[in-house]
Amino acid sequence: MSEFDAELDATGLNCPLPILRAKKAIAGLEGGQTLKIIATDPGSVKDFEAFCKQTGNELLSSGEEGGKFMFMIKKAA
Amino acid sequence: MNQRMPAHQRRDSILEAAMKLFAEKGFHGVSIDEIARQVDVSPAILYRHFASKQQLYDTVLQNMSGRRESYVDTVVNSSTSFEDVLIGMTQVYIKSVTDNPDLLRIELQSLLDGSSATNEFFKNRWKSFTDYIEFSLNERMSHDIPNREITIMAAGLMFQGMLREALAQKFLQPHDRLEDLSMEELSQELVALFLRAVGMNKSHLSRKAVIKV
Repeated sequence: MSEFDAELDATGLNCPLPILRAKKAIAGLEGGQTLKIIATDPGSVKDFEAFCKQTGNELLSSGEEGGKFMFMIKKAA
Repeated sequence: MNQRMPAHQRRDSILEAAMKLFAEKGFHGVSIDEIARQVDVSPAILYRHFASKQQLYDTVLQNMSGRRESYVDTVVNSSTSFEDVLIGMTQVYIKSVTDNPDLLRIELQSLLDGSSATNEFFKNRWKSFTDYIEFSLNERMSHDIPNREITIMAAGLMFQGMLREALAQKFLQPHDRLEDLSMEELSQELVALFLRAVGMNKSHLSRKAVIKV
């Protein structure tokens, strides 16, 4: 299990809610800190890729586990 | 006859024609023969690409869902306030229907057709709005409001009905009295009215819509 500084449970939420909550959670982090997100919306895979591309935050990992999607995002310094 | 068209091109042209016809007449109003005539092939050739009318219809829907709206831009580029995000989402949705009014036609047809695949598809399209509205109101609305749960659910329905009707009036009835009004102006007014209805004023949005009593 990798380390992270904050965790966001976005299960059961549809776009744009997971992205919106991630944006708020990242705003509360320091540069270089990481946020783990758990989501169930299959669209969230593309959405978080686009989100990181546009915001400059780094998508460290993205994966599926038992119908749940996990993302690890590192806030840009 | 375009007999030598490559298979994938043929398939695309069938899908294109089928989407237009289904949008215009609904699932039950269109026959395989009619779609085949439209693309100038025999029904036998059409059946080589699609096993049945149902399969063709499902593929049309799948293609449409491939163009799923993304609200990422909206969230990245606007504040995180309920009002700003809702306005941004509304603009994205309006743009998708402006670019492809057949989306709205097939949606309205499907309400009458009772096709479960279509209903599911459009339910998901609206779910972004209703979930967002219900979730946000649930966080914000005072717990003292009587019938709180019903109020929140009704707000989601109200928004969906409002926006869908505005789109229908704008795109499906071209000679109506809204002709001179841009979709942008119309949606801003509707969102402002909606926000007042759920107790969130956004006065800078549409000062001219404020009615003085």
